[in-house]
Amino acid sequence: MAPLATPDLDIERDRQTTPEPPSSWQTVVWNDPVNLMSYVSHVFRTYFGFDTPTAHRLMLAVHHDGHAVVARGPREVMEAHVQAMHDFGLWATVRKDPS
Amino acid sequence: MSERIVVLEISGLEALHLAGIVGQFRDLLADSRADDDPAVARLLPDAYPDDEAASREFRRLTGGDLLERRAQDAAVLLQTLGLDGGDRSAEDDPDATITIALGETEALAWMRTLSALRLVLATRLGIRTEDDHHPDDPRFGVYDWIGYRLDGLMTALDRR
Repeated sequence: MAPLATPDLDIERDRQTTPEPPSSWQTVVWNDPVNLMSYVSHVFRTYFGFDTPTAHRLMLAVHHDGHAVVARGPREVMEAHVQAMHDFGLWATVRKDPS
Repeated sequence: MSERIVVLEISGLEALHLAGIVGQFRDLLADSRADDDPAVARLLPDAYPDDEAASREFRRLTGGDLLERRAQDAAVLLQTLGLDGGDRSAEDDPDATITIALGETEALAWMRTLSALRLVLATRLGIRTEDDHHPDDPRFGVYDWIGYRLDGLMTALDRR
C-alpha cells in the first residue's frame, strides 16, 4: 500500500523523544463483523481528512484484507489516532512499521 | 448549540426503546469494568496486540477518559431525544413522529453511541463473524434496527 498522508505530523514532530525516524510507527484498523461499511468510511473521511475515494478504498481494504494501515508517523501521534478510533468503536492498534 | 446539520425522524415508540437501551448502556459504563465484562472490554481494545504490558498501560492512560466520553455521548443522545427526564411527549403518544435536529457535536455523539450499542449487543449475542446472524432471534431485531438507524444517519451526514 502506498504511504498515506499523516495529519498533524508537523505539529507533533517536536514531541518525538525517541531516536527513531518519525514515520516508523503505524495506525492499523482491523476488520470486525459489527461496524458498518458506511460508518467506517465516514470515520476515515472525517477524522483523517481523506477524500471520499481514499476513505472508501481503505474501508474496503479493512473489509477484504482484514486490516489496513491508515496512518504512519511518530508513536505518540499513532497512539492519539488509535485512541480516536477507539472512541468511534473501531478496532485499531499501534505497531512498528515492519518495512 | 452548534448549527444543525441533520434532521432525524423517529416514532415515539422507537425513541422510548432507544432511550431504554441507552440508559442500560450508561449503567453498564458506570458499573462494569473491562476486566469482568467482555462488552466493556470491546470498547477498550488492546492497542498493542502483541504486547500485553503496553496494551495495559495504554488502557490505564486512556480508558477512563474514553468511557467518560462514552457516557457524555450517551447523555447527549438522551438529551436530544427529549427523554432525559424533561419532555415526556414520546410516552404520551408512541405513534407520534419525533423530529430531532442535530448539530455537528450531537451528530457525532449519536453515531458513536449507536455504533457502541451495536458493539455491546454483538458481544452479548456472540457475534464473532459476519455469518453469525439469526434473523429469527428477536434480539437480532434490535441489533439490526440500530444498524439501520446508524446507516441512515451516515447517509444523511454524507449527503451534506
